[in-house]
Amino acid sequence: MQSFFALLRKIIRTGVGKGRFFMASIGLGIAMVLILIALQANTDFNQLLYSDKNQNETADFLVINKKVTNSMMGQPEKSVFSPTDIENVRKQPFVQAVGLITSSQFKVVAQAPGELHFATDMFFEAVPDSFIDVKEDDWKWNPGDRTIPIILPNDFLNLYNFGFSLSQNLPQISQETVKALPLQVVISNNLVSETYTGHIVGFSDRISSFLVPATFMNWANEKYAGTTTAATSRIVIKTADPSNPALVKFLDDNGYTANQDKLKFSKTRVIVQTIVSVIGFFGLILLLFALLVFSMFIQLVIASCRKEIQLLVTLGTAPRQLQRYLLKQFVPLYFIIGILSLVLVTILQYFAAGLLAKHDMVVNPLPGIGTIIGTVLILVLVYIVNVSTVRRYILQDQ
Amino acid sequence: MQIQLDHLLPVPLKDKILQRKSGIWNENIQFNPGSFVKIKAPSGTGKTTLVHYLYHIRYDYTGSVLIDGKPWSGYNRNETASLRQQKISVIFQDLRLFEQLTALENIELKRVMNSQPYCTVEKVQEMAARLNVTHVLNQSSKTLSYGERQRIAIIRALVQPFEWLFMDEPFSHLDEDNTSRAAALIAEECKTRNAGFILTDLDHDQHFDYDVLYQL
Repeated sequence: MQSFFALLRKIIRTGVGKGRFFMASIGLGIAMVLILIALQANTDFNQLLYSDKNQNETADFLVINKKVTNSMMGQPEKSVFSPTDIENVRKQPFVQAVGLITSSQFKVVAQAPGELHFATDMFFEAVPDSFIDVKEDDWKWNPGDRTIPIILPNDFLNLYNFGFSLSQNLPQISQETVKALPLQVVISNNLVSETYTGHIVGFSDRISSFLVPATFMNWANEKYAGTTTAATSRIVIKTADPSNPALVKFLDDNGYTANQDKLKFSKTRVIVQTIVSVIGFFGLILLLFALLVFSMFIQLVIASCRKEIQLLVTLGTAPRQLQRYLLKQFVPLYFIIGILSLVLVTILQYFAAGLLAKHDMVVNPLPGIGTIIGTVLILVLVYIVNVSTVRRYILQDQ
Repeated sequence: MQIQLDHLLPVPLKDKILQRKSGIWNENIQFNPGSFVKIKAPSGTGKTTLVHYLYHIRYDYTGSVLIDGKPWSGYNRNETASLRQQKISVIFQDLRLFEQLTALENIELKRVMNSQPYCTVEKVQEMAARLNVTHVLNQSSKTLSYGERQRIAIIRALVQPFEWLFMDEPFSHLDEDNTSRAAALIAEECKTRNAGFILTDLDHDQHFDYDVLYQL
């Protein structure tokens, strides 16, 4: 025996405008895929930015200084950070810590020992220890010590090994050798001159400067220059996310510059976010049109069976029975489309994760929770639109 | 279930009706449960209109039709549907079968509309046999004669539970033999349900033992 719905199927023909319904289904599918891709891309990008697995250590620290422009030349005080400037930097939400870079107020000449015949005027800078990426037991100085621990920038050794030494026919030196070399450091002001032994304890990728312990710097500044409060022209900040567009904007607004390389990521991020938003936006527009076509299709079905629906109601069919029947004709398809879209995005994500893994970027090969919630929300939205359309037109018809 | 007419008067026939005496229109009438009611009416006096008012598919009247003391307008759509599935059945003058369904499917539609059917499939076959329509059950209702359709409509009205059955000239296209078979079946089905009916027709007849007679 046939069920009630099987009989209804013979009376209420949903075949009217099937082509339109088919197109709307494809539209819904594409819309869902686009929206899910946008959500997933966002999740992936966040994972690349913030996940521990992808964190490269230098990304956390930025050395900031004021831009030196032609109009400032000859007025070094203009490139100095005032206490208000520093307080302002410290207040920014994306700044976790601020360290002042103190520069030496005395003259320094460094000489390499023995055959190297290397002597140069130079300078020292100091930052609080927590900002230094070299962890060495030797990195300490107490008043009276004749040996000064020094950290060199990695770039400096590279410049020497691959630029200077080759052109001057000098030997290349390894990090170990440099650490073993006792450097003669002559510190002087206009009145006195003293010789210390410099000991290279490490190489820093983070701060491009010749660093000495802050304790030595304070002592030496006071001793040779008679001041402890040297003006600060460079600061180092610790930030969770150097690609944060707000940070880049803050630097631009205040005329500060930082290691450009680290900030480039921010541009990439803005571009990726724009592309993702555009994809998501088109997905949403397409979803709206699909919903519109669906509700027009339901309207068409109901209108084309107006007489039949009226007779069914006359014979005692409850509006809720009709509603359930009509929804049963459409809703399973939406769920199939939703699940297919999610499966497609999962496959894409799986391949994307594989590709990124080759470049040492780790993302989860499965779609994120946001994507799954997105799928559910879209399906709920489609369902609500359908229910309200069916309800409105069935009731209107009587 | 009580059915009560309280000064019921169709708006389009108002002037015509007020000029003459009517036993139904503009009166206060109560139909008692289980009674067989005959309403005799000449053409054009609003016979079909009355059935439509009783079944609540036309609303252009003044006064009211009270179902268990409550006017039809007090029932919402789902309650109305439930009354039509459980307590009130109808045989329209214009029959109102679905042409896209077979005769049997038309009956089935009404039978399985209720998730717990009142009648069995065998019962339907038995009623079809009694009314001599077994051979047309699987034909499209479009191809049936008016008399055959009338009998299908009668069976359709009898497959559901009801307390009242409204009939609008139910035997208009049946010969004498088929009329008495149909009348016997209807009377039997009403008795098993302790149900009453309201039948409207043009002339006097002896098809049933009527309890009440009205002149429209």
